[in-house]
Amino acid sequence: MNKLPLVESIDPEIISALDARANEISQGASVDSKIAALLALGSIPIALGALSKDVYGQTPSDVLDVLQFALLLEYLEAEFYTRGTAATGLIPAADRVIFETIRDHENTHVTALQTMITAKGATPNAKPNFDFTAKGNLAGFNFGSTQYETFKALAMAFEDTGVRAYKGQAGRLINDKPVLNAALAIHAVEARHASEVRRLRGKKGWITGNSREDLPAFTQGIYDGEENLMQGGVNVSTLPLVSANGGATAATEAFDEPLTKAQVVAIVTPFLA
Amino acid sequence: MSERPKLTIPDAGMLGSAHTRRDILKLMAMGGALVLLPGAIACSNDDGIVGPGGNPGPGTGNTVTIDFAKGDIAVLQFAYALEQLEADFYTKVVDAFGSSNLTAAEKTVLTDIKYHEVIHREFLKAALGSINGFSLTPTYGTLNFNDRTAVLNTAKTFEDLGVAAYNGAGQYLSDPNNLLLAGKIVSVEARHAAAIRDLINPKSGDFAPKAFDDVFSPSKVRGSAQGFVVDKLAFSNAPTTFIQGPNGNG
Repeated sequence: MNKLPLVESIDPEIISALDARANEISQGASVDSKIAALLALGSIPIALGALSKDVYGQTPSDVLDVLQFALLLEYLEAEFYTRGTAATGLIPAADRVIFETIRDHENTHVTALQTMITAKGATPNAKPNFDFTAKGNLAGFNFGSTQYETFKALAMAFEDTGVRAYKGQAGRLINDKPVLNAALAIHAVEARHASEVRRLRGKKGWITGNSREDLPAFTQGIYDGEENLMQGGVNVSTLPLVSANGGATAATEAFDEPLTKAQVVAIVTPFLA
Repeated sequence: MSERPKLTIPDAGMLGSAHTRRDILKLMAMGGALVLLPGAIACSNDDGIVGPGGNPGPGTGNTVTIDFAKGDIAVLQFAYALEQLEADFYTKVVDAFGSSNLTAAEKTVLTDIKYHEVIHREFLKAALGSINGFSLTPTYGTLNFNDRTAVLNTAKTFEDLGVAAYNGAGQYLSDPNNLLLAGKIVSVEARHAAAIRDLINPKSGDFAPKAFDDVFSPSKVRGSAQGFVVDKLAFSNAPTTFIQGPNGNG
């Protein structure tokens, strides 16, 4: 068939996936009747659009949206640790390697996400300006030499948020395996960071119930929902052996919960200048 | 919707026959459904081989086959195998507390982790049900459960492997609900990994040695896990493609 300008503009990966799917359909694979009708009518551009959703479950624009959203979170974390490790007298010498490690990871995540967005033909969103007082919730916080406790508390809040944010977006990446892999690889590293920062603060590395521990009340949204006991339709606390192994408390710790994009936006918004 | 053609395979032995294979191919060409009855996924009963000292060595026992034709179920079975191993390990660690040289703070962390791993195992056991369930026999060779260093290093191995295993299995899940479930567990494994690494080498960068966690193929994970399991871990219809993660080492 003649290559339409529209077709030429589409990512070759998408074309090959569409082509494979169209072949399956021509060989009798089941397909939504509307798509079949469009194909039968020869309505190529419309069928292409519909097939794209059919092949990927999510459209490529979903994947881009996730990447830009993740980039915002990584910008926030990267700037936070970059400023923290640059501040004089804030981080005690014995703890520096922890925060330098996390800083380097977050900056690497920023670069990786920008690269993935660019590879998909889009432009990475610019880094916004941040307000680490969270609109005055942490009045006067400016990475000062007496503010290490606040710095560590914010680090815990950001890392626990990051874990839940990536988890909530995984389903939108289910049909883009390379991006899913990258997101999972980052998700687990954020969980390692969270565990380390929590333990540095004298807390457990895992989240118990919906406890924000000693963080200020405005961070409660980061922990709401973590008390969930229902997994795959089963109340985990009622399973055999669970009562003898920490019961409902351990059952909430054993599973981290997702946050929706809207929930994460609500958590992050106070930090946007 | 009209009834699809269906082929029922009652036992594992039949899977190997040329006639059965032809039937499966024919069936798939027709868009049919393949039904594997319990016998087709259960273990074949090899005799366990007893190693030196009377302990059965890794991979010398019954064959436990995970059939990836079962799709998401197979991925959950794979996770179940790893969680059985972790839960058994930490149970033995906690049982040996009375004679071990772990500190009180370390015992607190390891007790929590034991709870979490037992809960993961019991959850997957319930999710898979009796038809898709199986029981593995772990083995730890000469590991001294009284020795802090040996226990923590083995824990580190298990936690890092668990993270990489879940990360690498994600690409084979087709139901977003199952992907989310795996995600709920894998981040807790990563929290464990960092805590164990922090106990071994406090306040170093070891808690997160890479900017991206590893993403390992099921076959790579099986190779590592086999060293701790008496049963022979086998795959059938294993995926032929694996998409590498950012570290390119899966």
